[in-house]
Parts: sequence; C-alpha cells; structure tokens
Amino acid sequence: MLTSGPEPAAGPPPSGVGVVAKGVRRTFGPVEAVRGIDLTAAPGEVTALVGPNGAGKTTLLLVLATLLVPDAGEVRVAGFDPVREPDEVRARMGWSPDVFGLYDNLTGREYLEFVGEAYRLGRARARTRAGELLELARLPEFADRPVHTMSRGQKQRLGLARALVHEPQVLLLDEPASGLDPRSRVELRELLRHLAGTGTAVVVSSHLLGDLEELADRVVFVDRGATVGEHRLDQLPAGAQLRPWRIRALDNAALLVALDRHAYNHDGPHAGGVDVRLASDEAAAALLAGLIGDGVPVISCQPLGGALEAAYLQLTEQGR
Amino acid sequence: MTGAGIATVARQEFRLRIRAGRWKVLLGVFFAILLAFTALLRAGLGQLASDELPYKGTILYGGLMLFVLGLALLVVPALAAQSVNGDRERGTLATLQVTRLTAADITLGKFAAAWGTALVFLAMTFPLVAYAMTQGGVPLGRVIVVTVVLALLLGTVCAVSLWLSSVLSRTTTSGVLAYLAVFALTIGTLITFGLVTAVTTETYTASVGGVDCFPACDPGPRQTYTATRARTDRTWVLLAPNPFVVLADAAPQLPDERRDADDRSQIRARDLDPLGQIGGVVRGLRDTRLGEGRLQTDADSEPDAVWPTGLAINVALGTAALWLTTRRLRTPSRNLPKGQRVA
Repeated sequence: MLTSGPEPAAGPPPSGVGVVAKGVRRTFGPVEAVRGIDLTAAPGEVTALVGPNGAGKTTLLLVLATLLVPDAGEVRVAGFDPVREPDEVRARMGWSPDVFGLYDNLTGREYLEFVGEAYRLGRARARTRAGELLELARLPEFADRPVHTMSRGQKQRLGLARALVHEPQVLLLDEPASGLDPRSRVELRELLRHLAGTGTAVVVSSHLLGDLEELADRVVFVDRGATVGEHRLDQLPAGAQLRPWRIRALDNAALLVALDRHAYNHDGPHAGGVDVRLASDEAAAALLAGLIGDGVPVISCQPLGGALEAAYLQLTEQGR
Repeated sequence: MTGAGIATVARQEFRLRIRAGRWKVLLGVFFAILLAFTALLRAGLGQLASDELPYKGTILYGGLMLFVLGLALLVVPALAAQSVNGDRERGTLATLQVTRLTAADITLGKFAAAWGTALVFLAMTFPLVAYAMTQGGVPLGRVIVVTVVLALLLGTVCAVSLWLSSVLSRTTTSGVLAYLAVFALTIGTLITFGLVTAVTTETYTASVGGVDCFPACDPGPRQTYTATRARTDRTWVLLAPNPFVVLADAAPQLPDERRDADDRSQIRARDLDPLGQIGGVVRGLRDTRLGEGRLQTDADSEPDAVWPTGLAINVALGTAALWLTTRRLRTPSRNLPKGQRVA
C-alpha cells in the first residue's frame, strides 16, 4: 500500500458528528468490492470521494447510508452506527444515489411531501419543507406539474432536494453532477458549499474533477476497494510526479526540433499542440524560457487538467 | 412499525396506482363480466322451472360467489406481484428504505394498498349480491360471512404475491410465480389430494354373517372379504386450503326448512345451494368415522367442518409471507440475492 503525501491538516472530526469510516470491507460473493476504505468527513466541509469506476465508492456510500452491512470496519455516521442504530442515522443523514427513480405521476410537491412524511416530519411541516426545497432546487414551476415532464437535470435536482427534506447533518451524494448542464453544476456547487457553510458534512463522489477542485475541502482517493490517499485540497501531493503540459506554437516543426534538442519526451503534434510531461511548475517555466530562447514562436503553454486530475492520475496509476 | 408509516406508504401506493390509469377500465370490465354471468344464470334459472323453483337467489348467490372468487384469483396476483421488485427496478425502493419508514411499514403499506384494491374488486359484486338477495334464500348473515372469508382469501393471495416480488429480482418471474401459486392453491390442492388419496388407499378385511336374527334363523357361516377404502379422513387436509373449498364450506348452512307448510315442491333451500353442496362433500371426506369402517356418515350427527382448518392455513400462509417480506426489506442488508442491486 502506498503512503499518501502530507497528512490531512484537519484530524478526524470530533466524535458524534460527520462521518468516520475505518477499514471498511465488503465482498459480494467472490468480488471484493471494498477491501479497506478509510474516510473521514468533518461537519462544515465538503469531502470528495474520488476513484475510477469499480473502486468501491458506491459500495462505501451504501454502507454509510444504512443500506449495506460491511463485512468489517468501524463506521459512524452523525455519531451513530449504521448497522446497529440505522434509524438514528437515517434521521440525520441524507443520501442520493447515482441512479435513482422518481414517481413519474406525482408532482414535485407531492413527491417531496411524501418523502417528508416518510421522514416523520408531520403533514404540515412536510408541506412547508416541500415548498422551501422546490425553491432551493429552482423547481418552483414544477410544484404542480408531474415529474415525468422534468428534464434529466431537473430530476437530478429534485433527487438532491429529496435528500435534504429532513435537514440532514450528513449528506452523501453519489455522482450528483452526472447529467447536469454546466449552469446546474455551478449551482450544485454553490448549494453544496452553502450546506457545508451551515455545518453539514458533505460527502460527494464524482468523476468531474474540475468541479470537485472548486467544491471540495478534502479529497479521499480510492482505487480497487482501498483508500490510496487522503488530502486537503490545498495540500495535494505535487512535485515528484510528471504532469502533462500542452504547448502550442505557430511553427510545429521548430517546436519539435527544439524539444528534441532539449531531450524532452513529447506526444504529438496533434490539433491541440504538443504534449510534454513535466515534473513541476518550475520545470515548465524553464522549458518555456528555453523554447523562447531558441526562437520557437510559442503561443501557449498550459497544464492539462487540474492539480486534482494530476493527483488522481498519479494515485490511480500506481500498481497498474 | 407505526400506523402513520404504514398509512404513508399505503396512500402513496394507492395514489400511484390510480394515477397509472387503467383501473376504471379494469373495474368496468370486471363488473361487466360479473353482470353478464349473473344475468345469464338468472335467465337460465327462469327457463328451467318458473315458479316451481323457489330460492332462486340461493343458486344465484352461490354461483356468483364461486365465480367471483375464480375471477378475482385471476386479477389479484397482479396487484402485488411486482410491488417490491418493480420499485427496485425503477430505483425507488432504496430511497424509501433510507427514510425513517421501517421494513414493516413498507411491507404492510404495500400490502394494504394491494389488498384494498382487491377489496374494491370484491365490492363490485355488491349490487349483484343485493339483487340475488331479492330472489330469496340468501340470508344476510351468510352474505357477511362469505364476504369476510372472500376478503381473507384474497388477502392471502396478495401477501404471497408481495413476498414473491420481494425475493425475486425480475418482475416477470414473480408475476408468473404468483399465478403458479394461485394455481397450486386451487388446482394443485385438488390434484395432490387426488393422488395422495389414491396412494394411501388401503385394503382391509371385514367379515359378514353370524348376525343375530329374530325369532330364529341360521346365522350361517361368517364370511370374510377384503375391500379397499380411501382414507380421505387423513388426506382431507390437502384439500382444505383450496379457496373454493374454504369459501363454500364457510358459508353458513341454510335452514333445514320448507318455504311454507303447503309447499308441494318439498325443496329445501339447502338442497339447491351450490356452496352447501361443496361443503357437504368435503365434510364427508373429512369425517373420521370413515376410518372405523363406515362409508356413510350418520344422518343424526353433522360431520366436522373443513373451513376452519383451510382458512387457518390460508391466513397462516399470508402472515408468513408478510413476515418474510419484512425480513427481506430490512436494511442494512447482509446478504443480497444474486443479481440484486441495493440501489
């Protein structure tokens, strides 16, 4: 097992709040879906759960969401054990799966009121809460229109509103941004930041690393059922790893000659330019200075993907 | 488990069923078939023996109840057989399970909605029953008992169908199996009873002769002979859970009386009663005195009823099905059936 970079600055959250999962394991028949995931999520923070498909993210969230008994491991959600005290956890936890169904023939309001009653809010409270959430999810025009008239993104937002009906302390979202248009993604980000600002512990699994970079406070990398790194976003492991940079020049031939002279391995040229793997920002600055010194007409030089993507690629690549 | 939780689920299920449409049509068709049956039966009775045949209502009512049971058994399995796995397929079950609704809330709420719908179908018969009552020979007490028993039998089918939908991941499989379960309960019990009775038929030896006679005669030599007898006094239990048997036998027997003193037809209502006739047959099968070598029941003592056993088996079956469904819906789950997703 590889060791992560700097330890998270914030230690485990105080007991009784947020999410603590240690050494979670779960097999489905012969398949080891999760074989040792650790995750902590503090109240007031957005924790991103990042990893390739099949890394065990969804399984872990099912364990946290009181739906699946882990084979091993210590789990606390909002201070309670999801296996022994599921009702306590459910009263404090909201969960939205990656794929979920809504009742097509209900209106947005009826749906949220039903969920409110299922969370024992009482009729009157469920009704006001449904109104608030329709506003929050920007779906007021669907209050009295059936769900099947909604677009995919609108349904996704309704699903998120469903998870918020009982004002949970812990919010678990599995791929919440899938199917959302760019504007909705920005709004989702703002909403989740707002919820974290009010003290909610938010756990988000996602592939959209660009979004997470602006959303998450902490990131937990998982690969093949195990945690491979847990970092604060501003302390991502950087330095030793090579990261792709894309260079564009007016004269590709001159660029390639120069790169070869400086002995850089490169990829291209292609429509976007030439890709070079560099270890650090300093290396990029040095390369750029060299190219300009050689008289190569460089137009742009930029890192491909964010820091999160680089860390992701590095962490999930090892052992591959 | 809370009453409010059950009510929340049941209301929701009802609303979804109603919104999904088709129900008015289905109820309409159901009623039309019952109406046609009643009308034809009534017309047939009118043809056969005008005023010579009293208690037309008895025949009409008995026939209608057996018919409605058969028809309802064709409809009711569909009401619950896709309830749980359908929700799973649509991805709405897990989001319900993470709320504060308990597994029992979900099970009983879904059951209540399915059973309630079945009872709506049953209620379609009320106008026709009222008509049969006007034709004579249908006491109100009998109508009440038969309706309650019918309701319980349909509840059993709902519960078993619901359980099938919770253990099988595919809705088509659970649908087919729900109908097979009804088949097992109706035709299956009949076949099993017949086969097991045939297998357990025993040969016995008896002797005749040597009787006392008066004033004096030659008693002659005692003769022994062997014969076979079916031990239906032991195998009747196999037939008891059959819904038609339970329904027919549970119907209170009609009074043993003529309509009036100078009724020349001498026909008793109970002689015409299809329910009572079936009940009489199965009670005869049960009669334990068969085991003592008597083939015919004594006229002076009524044989034991079969329906309490049959109804108890049905109710037990339904209760067990609900209990197992609740277990299956309980989360967090430890074991998942093959091919079943949590969410």
